[in-house]
Amino acid sequence: MKIDATQPLEYGTDENRYKVFGFWLFLGAEIALFATLFTTYFILVNRYANGPSGAEIFEIGPVLVETFLLLTSSFTIGLAVHSMRLGLKKQMMIFLIITLLLGAAFLGVEIYEFFTYVHEGATLSTSAFLSSLFLLLGTHGAHVTFGLLWGIAILIQLRKHGLNHRTANKSFIFSLYWHFLDVVWIFIFSFVYLKGLM
Amino acid sequence: MMKQLFPVKHVVGYVSSLVLTALALVVLMDIPSAAKMGILVVTAVIQSSLQLVLFMHIGETDEKKSLYINIAYALFVALVTILGSLFIFVWGWYA
Repeated sequence: MKIDATQPLEYGTDENRYKVFGFWLFLGAEIALFATLFTTYFILVNRYANGPSGAEIFEIGPVLVETFLLLTSSFTIGLAVHSMRLGLKKQMMIFLIITLLLGAAFLGVEIYEFFTYVHEGATLSTSAFLSSLFLLLGTHGAHVTFGLLWGIAILIQLRKHGLNHRTANKSFIFSLYWHFLDVVWIFIFSFVYLKGLM
Repeated sequence: MMKQLFPVKHVVGYVSSLVLTALALVVLMDIPSAAKMGILVVTAVIQSSLQLVLFMHIGETDEKKSLYINIAYALFVALVTILGSLFIFVWGWYA
């Protein structure tokens, strides 16, 4: 295996470079996936039948907390990759752990939010608006959940094998995924919550 | 050590994303509704570009041209899907 020492570890081999490139292609497909869910939501947003509308159930407080948690976790995973490039394994793992804790807190708030909605009589089957809302938020939340499991798996590998071109590559790809979830959330925050409340 | 672990570029990016989030909140105040959508689009686009360029390092390798084309194509597909569907189902241009 040819290792190019002039590159950061995660790009050190051809295989590594292809994997990063391939993951970007996957993110392109994810953009298309979320676009279809946003489309469904935008079309059905006013079809709330006898159920509540967005303005009636959305609360800015929890949403701002979620946004803050996810933005901060995106910052800390960025710092984790930065530490990784300096070869600081311990600091990198600490930043990764903070990222996952913030992600778990985000999920906690989102689950609480879903409970509140259902408690107020806004369920998945109440109206077309709510079906499309839960589908969009749920798909994003499922991605975060998967990201938590993935992140834990990466932590275990870092602990077992240390920083090498394979674990660095996996960690970098995970960071791309995590930042991408933050990008999707920015659009949910702006065009679902803020638009619904304005 | 702190300076090494918290590079200025990342801190500035993080603070900017918080500021942009706060800025987007003005749509909840009493301003013309035409301006509201504009504000949301601008703050969301700047924030996501920050993530892509600053945190995801999209431009750091020789493949950056292909990566930009890939993302641009994905955004094209996304916009056509969203706007095209709104065009038919919501704005009523099917007649």
